Amino acid sequence: MKTIQLNLIINNQQYELQVDPNLRLLDLLREELDLLGTKEGCGVGECGACTVIMNGQTVNSCLVLAGQAQDAVIFTIEGIQGEGEELHPIQAAFIEKGAVQCGFCTPGMILSAKALLDHNPQPTVEEIKEGISGNLCRCTGYQQIIEAIQLAAEKMK
Amino acid sequence: MREFEFLHPESVTEVLDLLETYGDRVKIIAGGTDLIIELREDEGPENLEFVVNIAHLEELNYIRQDAEKIYIGSGTTHSQLAQSSLIKEKIPALAIAANSVGSPQIRNRGTVGGNILNASPAADTVPVLIALDAQLRFKSTAGERTVPLHDIYIKPYKTNISSQELLVEVAFNKLSRSASSSFIKLGRRNALAISRMNVAVILDQDSDGVITDLRIAPGSTTPVPSRIKIAEEVLLGQKPTPELIKISGEKVSEEMINLSGYRWSTDYKKPVIETLTRRAIQEALEGRG
Repeated sequence: MKTIQLNLIINNQQYELQVDPNLRLLDLLREELDLLGTKEGCGVGECGACTVIMNGQTVNSCLVLAGQAQDAVIFTIEGIQGEGEELHPIQAAFIEKGAVQCGFCTPGMILSAKALLDHNPQPTVEEIKEGISGNLCRCTGYQQIIEAIQLAAEKMK
Repeated sequence: MREFEFLHPESVTEVLDLLETYGDRVKIIAGGTDLIIELREDEGPENLEFVVNIAHLEELNYIRQDAEKIYIGSGTTHSQLAQSSLIKEKIPALAIAANSVGSPQIRNRGTVGGNILNASPAADTVPVLIALDAQLRFKSTAGERTVPLHDIYIKPYKTNISSQELLVEVAFNKLSRSASSSFIKLGRRNALAISRMNVAVILDQDSDGVITDLRIAPGSTTPVPSRIKIAEEVLLGQKPTPELIKISGEKVSEEMINLSGYRWSTDYKKPVIETLTRRAIQEALEGRG
């Protein structure tokens, strides 16, 4: 297989990489760059554990080929802290509200919440549910997750 | 994961050249929400050698109108369709159908062109586009041609489109101002559900309430997507009554059984599609969709 040249920005850092053509964005993040915060759950786009923000929108990184991220701007959970590495208000709110149980869905859930609040800073509960509808929490801690997103929206006003 | 070469052309012209050169050794990738799963499960075309990316091509990504028609580039995502003020105003059922696909993440990637050409019987935008009598515009190095959407399907997951052709646009006539549309989907839950069945209805009435235009297009119901003319005829030229609406729904299930035979699932599907049709007609009548 002919490798491909890939230029992209991940968590504000420019990368120039030479990768296999059949790599998924998820594999690129985890296997090549050691960004292990992005999780692989189902691998078929149903669970949202692999959610990252690509060009301002959430995507399932298991359903994007690495080559399709050419010139993209990507944020993973590792990249959303402030400059002094302080937690993002959504991360802080997840801790405060106890919205993390096993934690496997948390990175994807937080990135979906971030994309939601970036576009809609004061969402209703229905809009929050819609915003995280592509992310499954098998611990079923949705109530705390919704409360955490509400709290984050409040703090970020 | 299957092995392949990944190609990233800069224009539609370049895509067409690749299709001419490599033919059925190419798979086009747009949103990838169906294709990547196939490739990962080592499925997909046996002679696949190249995956050609079109997701980044801006020339395939637009929603435009002129006096008569609405034109949608094949690379338009479900999110863009669902959020388009033009689509929401002129044909709300299409926005609702696009918004019922998968999840936000899937809608941000999956395209209308992919939804059409993957040819899944459960595709959500297809029944609405069938009801709109949509036309597809294909390009190849030989030129271009326009085909009714209705004519491309052979059977589930199979179309008659050649491997040299690229779908570039979906277009349909605008509806009259008094027309309304609805789309109802039955899935196992609200998010991330593949349609068990769905139905799109477009309806117009004159000032006396007589139905002057009616199109009923169910999904996951007949072997290939189609309007159900015998169900439409029940109400055309009539003032709608609960009895006529009920009969119209029954005609849909009658046609389903005619075309697909009586299967293990029919006891379930028959009353469900009758009810969905009835509700979709009622919703269109109330102008809610």
